[in-house]
Amino acid sequence: MKVENAKAQMRKGILEYCILLILERGDAYASDIIQQLKEAQLIVVEGTLYPILTRHKNAGLLSYRWEESTQGPPRKYYALTGEGKTFLNELNSAWKELVEAIQDIRQTPVKNDQP
Amino acid sequence: MTVNIAGMVYHIDEDAFNRLRQYLNKVKEELHSVEGGNEIYQDIESRIGELFMERLKNNRQVITITDVEEIITIMGQPGDISGKSEGREYTSQNRNYRRMYRDPDNRIIGGVCSGLAAYWRIDPTIVRLIFVILAIFGMAGVLIYLILWIVLPEARTVAQKLEMRGEHVNLSSMGEFFRQEFDNVKRSFQKK
Repeated sequence: MKVENAKAQMRKGILEYCILLILERGDAYASDIIQQLKEAQLIVVEGTLYPILTRHKNAGLLSYRWEESTQGPPRKYYALTGEGKTFLNELNSAWKELVEAIQDIRQTPVKNDQP
Repeated sequence: MTVNIAGMVYHIDEDAFNRLRQYLNKVKEELHSVEGGNEIYQDIESRIGELFMERLKNNRQVITITDVEEIITIMGQPGDISGKSEGREYTSQNRNYRRMYRDPDNRIIGGVCSGLAAYWRIDPTIVRLIFVILAIFGMAGVLIYLILWIVLPEARTVAQKLEMRGEHVNLSSMGEFFRQEFDNVKRSFQKK
């Protein structure tokens, strides 16, 4: 079992949550999101972001608008929809539960398992 | 050479152009079976355009092969983008996903008829008959055949051949494929 593999799976699991969190703080276009995810070391290749954005948009969690850019092609700015906010709130509480669960497991003293 | 990426034109070396085209075709192919694939592809193309712009800032004019390779590293392999190589759940939706290819193993002219037959799971002879009848009554058959010949890609790799027959591409189906191929070769030797 490679530890890198397990780590990557963990990161992937929370990637969607992180994208929604980033968008909660304000509208952003793909490169902004990528920048923040890279700083947090949550993303390895940029290509993985686009399918998630499109999937969430099609599910009604995100909306986007085109904005002209002074340098280069127009940019797609993504924003959280009302539905997306509800979705994010659910994820927030799920995350809290997860963190608590992990803490519980860590803090529970080992009982009869040892000889 | 010039290349048009997301509506902007860039100067590019020939080897860089070939590498880029190969990469984008691969990405397009991978995204073909993903929901909203076309849109994802366009997003990726505009991002690549943006990365080109960044690279051409300091008075540089031409995109080189190094630029393209770097950008591919940044964007990731086609399999990473579609999520297929990760073995995630949503690939299972495409379990019996079939694609139209030309079948080079059972061809008479270009493998168009046997490719269509594999797609519809019918006898290639029926498809050939239809085309011959259409060809007799005017040029329609010939024309359709030529267009399909141009449009349909040839199933070259094992994965493509399995995809053509609607079989799920995994290690065991690949193994089965090779076993059958081996038997075919053995049989054709025994005939002689």
